[in-house]
Amino acid sequence: MAPYTGIPLSPAELQYLHTSLSQDPPIRPDGRSPTQFRPLVAETDILPSTNGSARICFPDGTEAMVGVKAEVEKTREGGQNVKGEVDGKTGKDEEMGDDSNRSARSGRGWGEWVEIGIEIPGIRDDDALPIFLSAMLTEALLADAGLKDTLWINTRFHWRLYIDILLLSQPLSYPLPLLSLTTHLALLSTRLPSLISERDEDPLFNDDWEASTHLYPRSKADGSSAQRPPITLLVMSVGEMIYFDPSADELAVADAVVALSVTSTSTTDADALPLKLVALRTIDPPSRLTAGGVPNVLSTTSTTGTASTGTTGTGGVLAIREKDQGQSVWRPPRGGVKRAVVGRMIKAVVEKGGVGMEVMAGLAGVET
Amino acid sequence: MAITILPPAPAAPAKAGARAYNGNADSDDEMDIDALPPGHSQSVTILTPGQTVTDDPQWMRGHGTFAETSGTAIRSTLAGTLQKTNKLLSIVPLRARYTPEIGDLVIGRIVEVQSRRWKVDVAAPLLAHLPLSSINLPGGVLRKRTTVDELNIRAFFGEGELLVAEVQSLFQDGSASLHTRSLKYGKLRNGYFMAVSGMGGGAGVVRAKRQIFTLQTARGGGEVDVLLGVNGYIWIARHDSSADGKAGDTEVGLNKLEETASTSMYSSQNDVIGAETRRAIGRVAGCIRALVQGGVKVEEKTVRSAYEASLELDEQDGDQEYLGGDRATSIVEMVLGG
Repeated sequence: MAPYTGIPLSPAELQYLHTSLSQDPPIRPDGRSPTQFRPLVAETDILPSTNGSARICFPDGTEAMVGVKAEVEKTREGGQNVKGEVDGKTGKDEEMGDDSNRSARSGRGWGEWVEIGIEIPGIRDDDALPIFLSAMLTEALLADAGLKDTLWINTRFHWRLYIDILLLSQPLSYPLPLLSLTTHLALLSTRLPSLISERDEDPLFNDDWEASTHLYPRSKADGSSAQRPPITLLVMSVGEMIYFDPSADELAVADAVVALSVTSTSTTDADALPLKLVALRTIDPPSRLTAGGVPNVLSTTSTTGTASTGTTGTGGVLAIREKDQGQSVWRPPRGGVKRAVVGRMIKAVVEKGGVGMEVMAGLAGVET
Repeated sequence: MAITILPPAPAAPAKAGARAYNGNADSDDEMDIDALPPGHSQSVTILTPGQTVTDDPQWMRGHGTFAETSGTAIRSTLAGTLQKTNKLLSIVPLRARYTPEIGDLVIGRIVEVQSRRWKVDVAAPLLAHLPLSSINLPGGVLRKRTTVDELNIRAFFGEGELLVAEVQSLFQDGSASLHTRSLKYGKLRNGYFMAVSGMGGGAGVVRAKRQIFTLQTARGGGEVDVLLGVNGYIWIARHDSSADGKAGDTEVGLNKLEETASTSMYSSQNDVIGAETRRAIGRVAGCIRALVQGGVKVEEKTVRSAYEASLELDEQDGDQEYLGGDRATSIVEMVLGG
């Protein structure tokens, strides 16, 4: 995925942060616990002309706004090829209730009905960063067939969903979690006008906005959504330790950065996990682009001017650097991330009462 | 709970004593200067660029204002508050970049290495210069810089490295030339860097008597050095006790430099720092962050009292290390109250 390039830190800073974070118990530079998020400010339904919108501010000063706009569109000819098979099903629908209407929709939705556009200030929209970000968010959204099928109106028409994501501040750190959480909130608040027309008629909608239905329907009991849009969380590892919601200076020393997308499962089985993993991407950590430090042994400033390493030749210098293993001075991380570490990251997110559930519960509690 | 989500708070209401704009129809965008007390004073209301400050010819225009060629009106060129010194009107901006002044202690980050000098980011509009001739060369200050030093320039400072320096002189365009010819200055290690806003309005580091001080931390954290760069860059590091013996008692003279310019001067290798010291450094950083968030200026006194307040807060509601959200606001209240 697109590398994140920030301001380079000095080898001394990198080494300080890296050893702080790889200790057990770990010491984060701002004193948070590994799974703790920074407090964020959120609100929904802020743009009156959209179907759903949200705004989130992170305490590091980054801020994003998302607007969701739905449009009715005629389904392309390609979509009508299945009409023959469909006719039989729609015949049955007349006698059946609401549930079967849902089943009739299943598998009819198309991924291209959802469009995500990302705007980041100072970066062209054909730059790698916004393209990768929108690909990651789309991937997570479409992994769950529920959204696509909700957009299906009848065999001739469907909803097209435009999700416009606007980063209002400079991308001070990797903006993926911010954009994902804001999109999640906006989709939660998205409402579509309720349909009056029947079956394959040209669609006609109820003017009353109060009668509109949520894109992600809410359960009647407590008003919370039974099904929820996916969220993408950034998890980083330093050695054996894993961290959530990394700040910019923590990201700078990460051994590995992983973007995990999770969505809620619709099963009612009590033993099943409440969340399922829909996508996992590794992101190039910026630490790989840094320069390593020079250990005191190899320093050329101590001798007066002549700058000779004396007896140690090129091979000797290399041997000293390799033997050091990044213990005394900073060395950019090499190799990948261990399977066990990735496994622990996934578990921490999806498990019952895990970070994923807490974040979703927190976002569901945001009042409009 | 792993996450706290807050509703957006409205902007702080105007203070009760604040004067509103003159509401008269004929002068609706004009300040009432006469209401300000005589001598040196500052208004509470905010002026926007282009707004007429006054039409009265008795006032003189200062920084942040311009006078039209026709007429006597003085207009603001900045967003900020009006400052009046006798008959001189100037606008103090709400926030601005740091403007270097000779003698300022700054913390900078190397951006570029050139053949005989470094370009240093000091949060000013232009990058500052650090010539090879104004650093302490190992082997004594009186040694002439040689071509070997020029070839070896990256061994002293490489890209991204942090240093503390003093502004030696200013160029015509306002960019600074730095020097590190004292043992107080040089490369930074053993600590944590943070950037807040510097001189130029708003919260942040202000020029004070002492920019470098040592904080005695609780819970076995030992001593922690805090370097407040006037440009808003802050370095919090473990106190280097070995430096005490050398530089602590006397001001370092030119002759003494020769002996003391040691190998560790340009080292990028950290010493072993204990977990408690790391926690203490993180706590001091959290306190400074809270101060900036609360709009309090950062100087020795406020940092010290914020640190005390954070310890006091721990006694009240148990050990929590994260100094954000509510805890930040209560720290600010305690600093301002005490």
